[in-house]
Amino acid sequence: MRALLDFLAKYYHWLVFILLEVVSFVLLFQFNHYQNSVWLTTANTVVGHVDAWERSVLHYLYLGRTNEQLTRRNIILEQNIEELTRRIERLTHDSTRTELLQTERLTGIKLIPAKVVNNSVMKKDNLMTISAGSADGVETEMGVVCGTGIVGIVFQTSPHFSIVMPLLNHHSQISCRLRGTLYAGTLRWEGDSPLHAVLDDIPRHAQFRIGDVVETSGYSAIFPPGLFVGRVKNIYNSNDGLSYKLQIQLGIDFSCLQDVSVVAQEFRPEISELEEKADSIKNKAR
Amino acid sequence: MITTFLQRLLWMIALVVLQMVVFNYIHLFGYATPLPFIYFLLLFPQGTQRWGILLWGFICGLLCDITTLTLGVGAATMTFIAFVQPPLLQHMVSKDDPEDLQPGIATMGFWSYFRYALVLTILFVSTYFLLQTFNFFHPIDLLIAMVSSWALTFLFCILFEALRYKLL
Repeated sequence: MRALLDFLAKYYHWLVFILLEVVSFVLLFQFNHYQNSVWLTTANTVVGHVDAWERSVLHYLYLGRTNEQLTRRNIILEQNIEELTRRIERLTHDSTRTELLQTERLTGIKLIPAKVVNNSVMKKDNLMTISAGSADGVETEMGVVCGTGIVGIVFQTSPHFSIVMPLLNHHSQISCRLRGTLYAGTLRWEGDSPLHAVLDDIPRHAQFRIGDVVETSGYSAIFPPGLFVGRVKNIYNSNDGLSYKLQIQLGIDFSCLQDVSVVAQEFRPEISELEEKADSIKNKAR
Repeated sequence: MITTFLQRLLWMIALVVLQMVVFNYIHLFGYATPLPFIYFLLLFPQGTQRWGILLWGFICGLLCDITTLTLGVGAATMTFIAFVQPPLLQHMVSKDDPEDLQPGIATMGFWSYFRYALVLTILFVSTYFLLQTFNFFHPIDLLIAMVSSWALTFLFCILFEALRYKLL
């Protein structure tokens, strides 16, 4: 405080000078139009520059938030593009013969469309989750197909989702036959490649060759007959030597599967009921 | 004290009236206008209170502004000259001179006073004209007006001082 007073006592004439100059300039700008306009113009220019500088600094500070908003917007737009691309693809898609045949075979059968929401191909017992459940009419033991082949069988259902046991599961066994013949066998997966499965129990007298089509036999209420499964790639003897074991090149690449349909056959409950009855009679007889 | 005050007041009124009645009407070649009321500040002796000089300068400038209707120009200029006069005078006089030295030809000698008056009048006229025109659109005209006005102002200041010297 004392230092301040000393300072003021020593330099008080500066304060008087500044005060009087301020009064003089106020008078100058107040009562002289030209000086006033020049002063205002200059002051406005300076203020404008300061404002511009302040704005640029603030703009820089808000860049983080802007960036975040842009990223969010970008994600939304990317999703839109993805969805639209898929729609365009679907509308302009040139269907292969397999798909046309598949569609033909499924005509008259109720199909419940679904999306694959979870999938695995690398495990020993793979499972798949699809976005259709009991609320959509999906029940356990219904077949699941897609445009290029059969996918698997519904294993569990919840109101909006279902778990499917695909071909790529050790417990999966689907009755299939060679197209053009009535020789049927059981399709199962041995766990090696997700592109190949094995068709067992083809009798040794059956006539076929590599490249022949394998389709569903229709011996169960799960899949209707004639749905494309794959093609014969290799022919081996079975372990007991009484039949052939065929290596099948599957029609589906499970690793990029997206859209599937659940097959709801009209008489499936009736057939199942009948089969259950037969089983119970058989058990009683024993 | 009161005598000094009255003397200053009389000098100020006389110079302002002269400026108002005579010098404001001189526009030699359309450029040169003498502003010898600066002489009022040349008179302040060494050791005068700084705030006193500032206040006298401000009031004198303001009175001249009222007569010329350019309010603020003279007040700002005279305040500025009142601010630089004491250190300039201190710089011009020798250390042997008395502390309350009254600046003048008699006390400082002609050439010392000449330099003292020269510097202050140059500062005064240039500041005054810069504030009055407040632009550099016609720098040559401005320079001519400044130099010619300064020449007349300086001439009248030396003339006033010579008269005062003779009378004293």
